Amino acid sequence: MAASEAPARTSASVGDPAVPTGPGPGRGSGGTTRISARLGLRARVTAAFGVGAFALSAMMAGITYFAARQSFLSERQTAVQRQAFVNASLVQNSLRSPGIAVNQLLESVDTLPGSRSVLHYQGQWYATSVSVGQSAIPAPERNLVLAGTPASQLFSAGGSSQVVVGVPLPAVHAAYFEVFSLDELANTLRTLEYALAAAALVTTVAGIAVGRWASGRALRPLGGITEAAVAIAGGDLDTRVEAGDDTDLQELAEAFNRMAANLQARIEREARFTSDVSHELRSPLTTLSASVGVLEAHRSELDPRAQRALALLDGDLHRFKRMVDDLLEISRFDAGSAELSLDVVDPVELVRRAVLATAPIGEDGRRVPSAFPVEVGPGVPGLRLEVDKRRFERVMANLVDNAAAYAGGVTRVVIDREPPAGEGDGPATAVRVAVEDGGSGVPVAERVRVFDRFYRGDRSGQPATGDGTGLGLSLVAEHVRLHGGSVRIEDAPSGGARFVVELPLSPTGRRAAP
Amino acid sequence: MSRILVVEDDERIRQSMRLALEDEGYAVDDVASGEEAVARFAREPAELVLIDLMLPGIDGFETCRSLRRHSTVPVIMVTARSDTHDVVAGLEAGADDYVTKPFVAKELAARIRALLRRSRPDADGPSVLTFGDVELEPDAGVVRRSGAEVHCTRTEFRLLCELAGNPGKVLSREQLLERVWGYDYFGDGRLVDVHVRRLRTKVEPDPANPQFILTVRGMGYKLAV
Repeated sequence: MAASEAPARTSASVGDPAVPTGPGPGRGSGGTTRISARLGLRARVTAAFGVGAFALSAMMAGITYFAARQSFLSERQTAVQRQAFVNASLVQNSLRSPGIAVNQLLESVDTLPGSRSVLHYQGQWYATSVSVGQSAIPAPERNLVLAGTPASQLFSAGGSSQVVVGVPLPAVHAAYFEVFSLDELANTLRTLEYALAAAALVTTVAGIAVGRWASGRALRPLGGITEAAVAIAGGDLDTRVEAGDDTDLQELAEAFNRMAANLQARIEREARFTSDVSHELRSPLTTLSASVGVLEAHRSELDPRAQRALALLDGDLHRFKRMVDDLLEISRFDAGSAELSLDVVDPVELVRRAVLATAPIGEDGRRVPSAFPVEVGPGVPGLRLEVDKRRFERVMANLVDNAAAYAGGVTRVVIDREPPAGEGDGPATAVRVAVEDGGSGVPVAERVRVFDRFYRGDRSGQPATGDGTGLGLSLVAEHVRLHGGSVRIEDAPSGGARFVVELPLSPTGRRAAP
Repeated sequence: MSRILVVEDDERIRQSMRLALEDEGYAVDDVASGEEAVARFAREPAELVLIDLMLPGIDGFETCRSLRRHSTVPVIMVTARSDTHDVVAGLEAGADDYVTKPFVAKELAARIRALLRRSRPDADGPSVLTFGDVELEPDAGVVRRSGAEVHCTRTEFRLLCELAGNPGKVLSREQLLERVWGYDYFGDGRLVDVHVRRLRTKVEPDPANPQFILTVRGMGYKLAV
């Protein structure tokens, strides 16, 4: 039962740097530490990886985009300029020849695709396209060039990027302009944008995937530690974790193992103490028991008051012995040293014998047969049950004692098989022994707690007769659990409580007798 | 009046045991150590010996083995620990039975009576039982193997008589506990197991691979026919 308290404490303090790792009982005991807020560790690592990958890829995409754009633009501008200068010198030469048709001249100029020429000659504007005239050239550049300075400028008109290159031709009193549309470049850049965005997306997804994988991998050892903690909480105190050759994990693993070892040592120390105490008590108890036995033999020589005192002494000596035995038994369970000594028996015979053993011994030295019936369900005779007889005898004795102390005694005992016979549920796997009493039942809220050590609930308001040790039912639970079985409380048809012990036909994974 | 030797180092327990056993009608000798017990037994043999396992000097096991070297006297071990291997070790040292502290005087008396009881397993049965090269005479309490006498304790002898008297029949540990030791259904099966082991070393040609006293898994023991 001590194990049931453990999980609440162990679950809290794993993996927090504030938890002291050194030995020393009491340090940090009772305190619980919060591991994280809302998101799990794994989700947070994954998110961090995702955000990191996104930021990095977005930045790289941005840099790439702007560098590419810059490079494309300057390359295009240079090409346009070179072309414009070549064309300007061509136009200048042509204008020197007399009688030239300016419009035809402009048409004949070989321009790059998407570029248009504009010429200012003798105070007039000429253009290759009706849509492009002097108005297509931004005013500052126009004035600058007309004033005799070559100019080149990127500008935006009508939602599209354009480059204008202006070359003054002072020798012929003219100025030649070329306007070049960058729409094609914009298309190229848009494609680049999409490609970079897609790449950034892929990188981000990959980052998340890597984050998930890496966090899973990093947290895998925590899984091992969790398993170990669960095993320890479940009572397997020998469980330890292996650190492997990971130096980061070694510290955690060592701290964990140290914690487990301390816990184990402490539990063993307590169990040994209980065991030592009950052994030490045995010597004086032996003297007491033998001496009271002598007094009992000379009972008739005592006066009535002394006889009554002797009866009290004898009764409580018996109870004291039971308590020492029970404590010793419990210390064995706590130390994990309780072992089954198995025999294969007939369950009906076993229950009958166990019930008989609880009956008081009469004047003639024989057991007085019990006043309650032992009913045998269908399909039970012929079964073979592998059981520790001594432990089963203690289970029955404790249940019968409990009924006598709190519920007016046992009304009947029923033996059944599990699954019930005749329902086509296959062969029996377990034997069920129900002990019903004549009390008023156990409230649902107390049906688990009555199996706690020294639990004294308000059992139907009946005064205890003082025979119990307070350990009986908890030992019932321990004995049954050692067999891999279970015990529970139900309502008996008669209105009292019904203690149901279920034992597997063969306890698994336990030591068998020769 | 049967004479009982009590070996117990605790003065008060010794005194109370003496009182209780004398009340039951036994003559009691008591000593406080294993060495004294061996010396006393050599001088004045008792009919039964009670040995506490935890003794100063030579312990209860060694005391029991020393007594066994020269005697088949019934020995009851007194132990404070029934759970440990002490019980099996005590039985292997030659004890016939054990009681756990604190014992009830009446129960101890019952165990003593069962061990002192004269062996008459089957009054109408044959006067000689044989299997293999082993021959036993229940009335005379003699076991011979290939004609040579084998020294058995009274308990070993009774156990052998039960098995040999029911050749081929499986006897459960409960039956053997009841018939040989006088225990009820919940007696300690280890008593039977250890005594069977001890018997095998005395009557089997190869105790590790018994031919006569066979274990029937989950059932008990039987004598092969």
